[in-house]
Amino acid sequence: MLRLEEVEVAYGRVAALRGISLEVREGELVSLIGANGAGKSTTLKTVSGLLKPAAGRVTWDGQPIAGLSPREILRRGIAHCPEGRRVFPHLSVRENLMMGALLRRDAAGIAQDLDAMYARFPRLQERAGQAAGTLSGGEQQMLAIARALMSRPRLVMFDEPSLGLAPALVQQVFEIVQEVRRQGLMVLMVEQNALAALGLCDRAYLLETGRVVRAGSGPALMASADVREAYLGGRAFAA
Amino acid sequence: MDQALQHLVNGTVLGGTYALLGIGLTLIFGVMRVVNFTHGELYAFGAYMVYALVSLLGINFYLSLLLAALLGAALGAAIELLLLRPLRRADIDSVMLVMIGAALVLQNAEMWGWGGVAKLVPSPFAGTPLVVGPISVMPLRIFVLLVACALLLGFWLLLDRTRAGTAMRATFQDAEAAALMGVRVGWVNTATFAIGSGLAAAAGALLGPVFMVSPTMGDLVGLKAFAIVILGGLGNLPGAAIGGFALGYIEEFGGGYVSTEYRDAFGFLLIILVLAIRPQGLVAPRERVG
Repeated sequence: MLRLEEVEVAYGRVAALRGISLEVREGELVSLIGANGAGKSTTLKTVSGLLKPAAGRVTWDGQPIAGLSPREILRRGIAHCPEGRRVFPHLSVRENLMMGALLRRDAAGIAQDLDAMYARFPRLQERAGQAAGTLSGGEQQMLAIARALMSRPRLVMFDEPSLGLAPALVQQVFEIVQEVRRQGLMVLMVEQNALAALGLCDRAYLLETGRVVRAGSGPALMASADVREAYLGGRAFAA
Repeated sequence: MDQALQHLVNGTVLGGTYALLGIGLTLIFGVMRVVNFTHGELYAFGAYMVYALVSLLGINFYLSLLLAALLGAALGAAIELLLLRPLRRADIDSVMLVMIGAALVLQNAEMWGWGGVAKLVPSPFAGTPLVVGPISVMPLRIFVLLVACALLLGFWLLLDRTRAGTAMRATFQDAEAAALMGVRVGWVNTATFAIGSGLAAAAGALLGPVFMVSPTMGDLVGLKAFAIVILGGLGNLPGAAIGGFALGYIEEFGGGYVSTEYRDAFGFLLIILVLAIRPQGLVAPRERVG
């Protein structure tokens, strides 16, 4: 289980997180929603070790992980699929996937997972030898997800997985996220598409200017008037 | 025609070592975004190490070459750890100033340690040229070319075929995403600077016995290394190899057919032309490895 308690993070003098507390329990899909600059991505970066909290506690299975390197955190089973896909554009699709398995030493298991990824994403197999930068946006997103899964994580964090994709692809990405959860992985997802994020998740947190302002089940947050007003298209949606 | 063939051979020998120099410098820029002004001094360092090991300590020539390259890599690692790592979040101007300072320190240390008189490095190769038809080449130069090509090939295999090499290229392209894959970006930086410096020292160690070894030899070579890198496009590895050979040929043919005195100027003339006509370098950016 992942737990953040009163976590504070600052970029220089600018506070980005002002005491965030949240948790992801075994088998859960948790969404973070909120406006730009609310601290959603910062929260994920803090969990994966790219940012160090100035205060507060981050624990994973009860062990403190705040301040560890991204490498150590990945080794403990938390993978971060970053915003904007961030595939390595001049590495081949296959090399990108192998980068996801960089810390693993079980060659047989890696080969097996590679086959599983190719079976799930046939487009990636077709383009295995091609530079990742030549893929379409949707294909790059699939690659980024598959790359994160290649580390065999117990928790995957997706940052805006549907950003910039065509509607049909958005649907596909959300299906994959659900599949990942069904396989028993914990998922922590940041999504600007609040409607989809709330529909998918077990629980969600609404962030505003670095604080959690509301938490609850997906339907509960969807029903709350201020969430609807601010993020789901207001009364038009309610009607 | 015979003369042209001779220049071609000489240019190839020179180009091989220039390629080593250029690849080292462009690798460091590509991975770390550091403009490495110490590169020419690492070249001089490699040459002096071969001189010291062979002439002063009487160590085997071939072993000395290897040791000189490794010592160059170690010096590069030390520069990265002591000067660059603390400056990781500093702006590019501060980093450049520190690197210029480091180059001055290294150069003056060479002057202080070895004196201003040029040194000769003895080699086990015969002093009589190998004559094949109209071409004559010193055996030492053939050896230099073979070693330079072996190093280029070895470096390419390391980068293209190994896990560490893939991690290095990934860091080259997106350091933060690489960190999320578990790459220790700090160590990739140290390794990159060490490998780049080792290649420069290897080039110096190889050319030391061909030319003379003097404390200012790094100056011109440092400039030429930048020329090679600009020819190939900044951060472009195959470009640096091509740029290295291009500079070798231009100097050799320019020196042979136009004027020996302006030999070093031809390279810089070429750079001005490339910058004016094709500022992205000879090789298109999309062909980059990194």
